[in-house]
Amino acid sequence: MTCDSLAKLIPLYYYGELTPEEEDRLEEHLHECAGCERERERHRLLAAALDRRQQEVSPLLLEDCRDTLMAAIAGGATHAVAAKPAKGPWKLFLEAMGATLTGFHRYRQPVGALGLVAIGFFAARFIGTNPNTQSAQTASSAGDVFATVRNVEPDSAGRVRIAFDETRRRVVSGSMDDQNIQKLLLAAAHEENPAVRVESVGLLRSRSDSGEVRDALLNAVAHDSNAGVRLKALEGLKPLTGDAEVRNALAKVLLVDDNPAVRMQVVDLLVARRDDSVVGVLQNLVQKENNSGVRLKCEKALKDMNASIGTF
Amino acid sequence: MAGAAGATGARLSPQVDSLIRAAQRGDQDAFEQLVRAYDQSVLRLAMNLLRSPEDARDVYQEAFLRVYRNLDTFRFDCSFHTWLYRIVTNICLDQLRKRKVRKEEPAVVETSDGPIDRMESFEEDAAEADPERSMWNRQLKQRIEGALEDLTPRERMVFELRHYQGLRLRNIGEMLGTSEEAAKNCLFRATQKMRSVLGDFV
Repeated sequence: MTCDSLAKLIPLYYYGELTPEEEDRLEEHLHECAGCERERERHRLLAAALDRRQQEVSPLLLEDCRDTLMAAIAGGATHAVAAKPAKGPWKLFLEAMGATLTGFHRYRQPVGALGLVAIGFFAARFIGTNPNTQSAQTASSAGDVFATVRNVEPDSAGRVRIAFDETRRRVVSGSMDDQNIQKLLLAAAHEENPAVRVESVGLLRSRSDSGEVRDALLNAVAHDSNAGVRLKALEGLKPLTGDAEVRNALAKVLLVDDNPAVRMQVVDLLVARRDDSVVGVLQNLVQKENNSGVRLKCEKALKDMNASIGTF
Repeated sequence: MAGAAGATGARLSPQVDSLIRAAQRGDQDAFEQLVRAYDQSVLRLAMNLLRSPEDARDVYQEAFLRVYRNLDTFRFDCSFHTWLYRIVTNICLDQLRKRKVRKEEPAVVETSDGPIDRMESFEEDAAEADPERSMWNRQLKQRIEGALEDLTPRERMVFELRHYQGLRLRNIGEMLGTSEEAAKNCLFRATQKMRSVLGDFV
């Protein structure tokens, strides 16, 4: 074999990825060939230079990631175990019926009968209004219907009247530049489900140049009960640390937020721009801060700003 | 448990196995322990590839949320490490493809409690002793960054997993949905490219 073809094996030799036969062949050659031996040494030097580039992970960053993840999960990120396939209208209807009649197990048979009556009711309703509607309803997989039964009323002829509210799920998609998508995300940032809020705020943070989005992010930072949402919103405010209103809001958050990861990130944002008013806020925080990580960060920031740690 | 993440490609330890099963049943404490056993190496991989704490944090969140949502689909037919890294490498590859990673990323390390760049500290030591050496190191560092950015996302990933994470090429192929041979070729191309850029330095 030529030097060229053997030299190609050197990187794999270094990583121990050659077969034993290839390894033997190369080692034999390296003993005899000074050129290839130099090549091997150069590869070792390259690897050593690359080794020095490796970044260590800061324990604070790791803890911060863990906190945010667990907050998102505790806040309601969907677990696959619980995430069953999308429920059809009928299943939802029966569930709604079940929920409405909880505790009435002895009426299981009558409930079944009600269900059968309901089939007739749906069929009559769909066919009665528009024959095309029925096929549209059954064909649309995205058209999940959530029904809440408001009233069930049997009549003397053995039939039943059921009043229920329907909420129909729609799926829309579009780019983040689409105003309608932005509006929906702004609305979703106030949804009850924290997982929805985390996702929405996470998407909105790239659009913090819009006043409406900025306000939504500030609102989330100051008032959202979920730390994961607050952290996402803080990321979105990064480009706005020069805005006086944002700085004031962040200073307030710093003194009242109960989550150390949030406080850490607020300190980072505030000290990103030199501002004398921050010194007082940080000095206040140092006095009352009970998390050593946050306190150290504040002390370091004050030191970097040539400010004293205590207030006098 | 700290050793669990290192058990690459090996059969699952009984401890990890039982954590996974408990987490699949919805036990959140078990899930958290599982995360803690593997998350440091995941974060390090993301940091090294993307050179940005913010991007690494995003990868971490997305990866473990996907794990959380899909854990019930894990069937124990490969190691959990391989399964997890399939998710992580997919997200990182997407990021590498989408984002142009800024060259000055290591400079964003804002405080001493942020990520430590070994190269930086090496340079500082050298600067005191030998300014010429320090200049040489700085140039070498810039060349290394440039060389790594010239790699395709896939080459970059294979190199990262082999060189920095110490994974075997067979395992890397399994994670990236390709053969050991293809991973080998990728590694070879990556080292060749770096050699050609850094040739006069080493």
